[in-house]
Amino acid sequence: MNETSKKALEGKEKYAVVVEAGLFHYPLNRGEKPHLTGNRCNICDKRFFPKRTGCPYCFKDGDMEDVELDRYGIIYACTLVHIPSPSGIKAPYAYGYVDIPVDRIRVFGLFTGAEPSSFHAGQKVELVIEPIKTDKNGQEVIGYKFKPVENRH
Amino acid sequence: MRDVYLGGVGMTVFGKHLARRLRDLGREACLKAIEESRIHPKEIQAGYCANALGSAIQGETGVGQNVLWELGINKIPIINIENACASGSTALREGWMAIAGGFYDVVLVVGVEKAVMPKGTMLNVGAAELETKLGDVFPGYFALTAKKHMEVYGTTKEQLAQVSVKNHANGILNSYAQFRKEFTVEDVLNSPMIADPITLYSCCPNSDGAAAVILCSEKKAKELSLIPVKVAASVLTTGCYENGADITGWEVEKLAAKEAYDMASLGPEDLNVVEVHDAFTICEIIHYEDLGLCKSGEGGRFIEKGATDLGGLIPVNPSGGLLSKGHPVAASGIAQVVEIVWHLRGQAGKRQVENARIGLAQIMGGGKEGDTKACTVHILVKVQNTITLDCKDNI
Ligand SMILES: [Zn+2]
Repeated sequence: MNETSKKALEGKEKYAVVVEAGLFHYPLNRGEKPHLTGNRCNICDKRFFPKRTGCPYCFKDGDMEDVELDRYGIIYACTLVHIPSPSGIKAPYAYGYVDIPVDRIRVFGLFTGAEPSSFHAGQKVELVIEPIKTDKNGQEVIGYKFKPVENRH
Repeated sequence: MRDVYLGGVGMTVFGKHLARRLRDLGREACLKAIEESRIHPKEIQAGYCANALGSAIQGETGVGQNVLWELGINKIPIINIENACASGSTALREGWMAIAGGFYDVVLVVGVEKAVMPKGTMLNVGAAELETKLGDVFPGYFALTAKKHMEVYGTTKEQLAQVSVKNHANGILNSYAQFRKEFTVEDVLNSPMIADPITLYSCCPNSDGAAAVILCSEKKAKELSLIPVKVAASVLTTGCYENGADITGWEVEKLAAKEAYDMASLGPEDLNVVEVHDAFTICEIIHYEDLGLCKSGEGGRFIEKGATDLGGLIPVNPSGGLLSKGHPVAASGIAQVVEIVWHLRGQAGKRQVENARIGLAQIMGGGKEGDTKACTVHILVKVQNTITLDCKDNI
């Protein structure tokens, strides 16, 4: 491996900082659609995101199974934040709760792909994986967000 | 279970106390409670100290021992308590249980906090949680709650602003309050937007301060020259964390309220004065509903018609609430109870609720999975003609 490609690889490794391990598969393979990775309880079928070690409703060890959550959701509630977050997200930014009907689960997430002020409850959104901020070392941190589902007219 | 009574109560002025340490603020509040009780510090059999942020901000733990040694109190059991914004009220419940259970006759409960941050910095609590890493901020969570309440019940931003207007108007009458300034609805709406629809003047400030109370058994209460006030209910609940729950109310608060009313054999219609956790304007509106002061969804219209003003149907946050009085996190729950005691004893000055006999204090704290971690409800009742006072001068 020559110096140039080594540097390029280092650069790529630097880029691959994720906000928290195990939330989603990254980097994506060619043609792979982004998904959040949650898990489900084999006893009551309840799904969790982020993943849990055990189901708090069934309280039995070893009955959790990873599951890829559906990419599509509906905004339950959203707000537009005008102050930077202590965790380093630049203002203004929109976030809220997204209900994923297929998995009967509600997840918290940032919104992207449209005017931050344009998001509203009831809006259909889909999952994307993209940078959410730059950390103290100047590295981009990869997270998940939701963007409006494109109109297919 | 034995009845538990309030002894003396006291608090510091809430606000910026940059030059003072936790133990110094705590000492002042404790000393006021002890002096009003006219007891010697050595009569105190146990101490309960609430502090939420000392380990994170000041690098100080074991605050209770530090505070109480300032008063020469040693050798007795001293318990340090953290339960976010409900730390103080949780400490109060611990003290209540110890006396109700017959372990002690006199305990001291204190909450102390220094939460004023250098300009331009924000409290970074819960940094380990995914939501926080993704940019969630306290006002944002309550903004989501407000947006949903507006969407479902038609609550307006003007009604939200009225909470801040009312509480600041009350705070002007309270010399312990941090922000004693009058605001109009327009002032609140035109202040900088933090997280839509929560503006700057819709948020409580970070504050320094302390509050303390003496709790005692009936036998001990008879020896004090104070108007007897009894703890009729002391309840602590923990969040439900139900994914996908309705966020226009808090189930944990409804549970706490029901348990408290049952314990006291009272209902919301019996209350004369109420203090609630108004960290953000929307919170107070939801607390009206969860505590049963009005029906679900009616909170916005309840404040609009002045029901919770001083002189209204049921005055809420006569102290100015967290919005005006300030919010030294672990002190707030105890300061609410101090305020209720002042009203029941007729010591609340210009903001006195006339003939107040029954009061309620509610506070909750911590966020987890779109729910709150802890919620407390205390009901206090002025007792008439059941205790003969040694000194009748105070009646
Ligand atoms: Zn289960």
